[in-house]
Amino acid sequence: MIKAKNLTVKLSGKPVLQGVDIEAPAGQLTAIVGPNGSGKTTSLKAIAGELSYGGTVSINEHDISTLKPWELALKRAVLPQSTVISFPFTVREIVRMGLSVGARGDAGETDRIAKDALDAVDLSGFAGRFYQELSGGEQQRVQLARALCQIWDPLQHGEPSFLLLDEPVSSLDIRHQLTIMRLAQDFCARGGGVIAIMHDLNLTAMFADRMVMIKAGRVAAAGHPNAVMTDEIMETVFGCPMRVNVTPTGNIPFVLPHTASG
Amino acid sequence: MPRSEMAVHDGQHLSFVSRLMSDWQTGDRSRLARLLIVALVFIAFAMFAASIMTGAANASLGNVLQWLLGVEGAEQALSARDRIIILDIRLPRAVMGLLVGASLAVSGTIMQGLFRNPLADPALVGISSGASLGAVLTIVLGSSLFGALFAVFGFYALPVAAFLGCLLTTLLLYRIATRSGQTSVATMLLAGIALAALANAVTGVLIFIADDKQLRDLTFWGLGSLAGANWTKILSAGPIIAAALAVVPFLARGLNALTLGEATAFHMGVPVQRLKNIAIVSVAALTGASVAVSGGIGFVGIVVPHVLRLMIGPDHRYLLPASALLGGTLLIFADMIARTIVPPAELPIGIITAFVGAPFFLWILLRGRSHMGL
Repeated sequence: MIKAKNLTVKLSGKPVLQGVDIEAPAGQLTAIVGPNGSGKTTSLKAIAGELSYGGTVSINEHDISTLKPWELALKRAVLPQSTVISFPFTVREIVRMGLSVGARGDAGETDRIAKDALDAVDLSGFAGRFYQELSGGEQQRVQLARALCQIWDPLQHGEPSFLLLDEPVSSLDIRHQLTIMRLAQDFCARGGGVIAIMHDLNLTAMFADRMVMIKAGRVAAAGHPNAVMTDEIMETVFGCPMRVNVTPTGNIPFVLPHTASG
Repeated sequence: MPRSEMAVHDGQHLSFVSRLMSDWQTGDRSRLARLLIVALVFIAFAMFAASIMTGAANASLGNVLQWLLGVEGAEQALSARDRIIILDIRLPRAVMGLLVGASLAVSGTIMQGLFRNPLADPALVGISSGASLGAVLTIVLGSSLFGALFAVFGFYALPVAAFLGCLLTTLLLYRIATRSGQTSVATMLLAGIALAALANAVTGVLIFIADDKQLRDLTFWGLGSLAGANWTKILSAGPIIAAALAVVPFLARGLNALTLGEATAFHMGVPVQRLKNIAIVSVAALTGASVAVSGGIGFVGIVVPHVLRLMIGPDHRYLLPASALLGGTLLIFADMIARTIVPPAELPIGIITAFVGAPFFLWILLRGRSHMGL
């Protein structure tokens, strides 16, 4: 379980987060949604431990401020929005960087994990390609494979590991959006936990177990997609009145931009 | 040879090549890198031997090796003059070439990893100028102002002063060019020019007030040369360089992670601030000690890592040792050219490295300007 309590963050003097609480239990996909500039990425960065914050963040009851970087790296892996590299690494070399964190058995084992991770993001056969020559969506999936390698087992010694994903599907085509969301769902099913920043509300409703809606540095609503995706909440959070519908089979909420008025 | 045996032989030969080929397809360059490092060790040895042999006085390789290894009777095969030339001139010069070349190339590699940019080079971004300033300060004002420094460090005073000058410049440059974990190439290069100009201006003032003897010591710094090599200098700079080179391998994994950005390196478990501190101090030690004994020799730090990256890729676990070997080899080679191209006179080695390095730098710049944020 990741618990962030009363998070406050100021960036260059401006308050960006003002008392945000986020809980992400193991076994569940927690989605953070909200308008641009609401503080989604800042929340994720605070949870990842990469910027200074007020409040507390804990992973599996360990306060992250007491953990060394390498201890933290064994409990959670992070996928940033985009990664620019100015050196000609091959895909294989990037993915294997994720393996260098913990002791990981023999060479055969690491080779298998690196290969499986590339298969999981549908990049089999890309190992020999140069990262810089790939498209944005492909680069994003390479980085996800690299992050996966870092915490390959969703459960390590009985403790769940967590994937923190910042817009994992925003530059992907629809087939790969589904591939990656299913991958995240599967990671949860095997005992791990996922926090993902999402923009696509319909994908979120399909795959998320919990949604945290952030508006102007505060949590506006949190809960199961069916509970928080309502006409009123959508209008309050996004400032855009629209109708929320549910699919006939599965009772999954969805919104069509066509229903927006104003 | 029976046909079946031949087939087996060919099969083995092919299997090694095909293994390298399949490595290439799967993006694995580690086997190739290890192969290159072994080859570079042999090439470095060969260049070292060639450098001891080359010059106005001739001596056969066999005789010299036997003598240096202490084989009995070998000493008589060489004239006393040859022995002096080899032991007191060529040998220290080759050793210094190896040390300085390795230092400059490794400094360049670390700086490029640290700034996440293939254009960073100690000489180019003003760090060498900072080191020169430290050294010149010690020579000109040494006895009066830095009496304490000399008293404490003895003949290490010069490399230590160069190290401090270098450290200060590197820290300044890093503070100026890096904002919230992102390094701007343009700022780095421009700030480097400004810092170098400032350091050179102060150095100019010092040269102006220097007396004749000091002036002779100083002219040497402007050009960069291995001509002043002797065992005393090697003893003063060698331990600093050796200590820094011993630390460097531990930076490799961290520098690899850092190429993905500071935040991602932290996510992957790298203590980023500590890595940067150690990297900066190592660069300052390597560059400072090198500049103290050989002046500012440019472009080794940019050419060597770049050529190696083209061959074995940017993995620092292999790039760092390969840089040290190729840097040392290249500098010995450049020095051989410097002292044999216009006999009996000698060309400053900095001229040769600049002739090769400057066009090379332009080439990298033109090739990469689209994706280097310039």
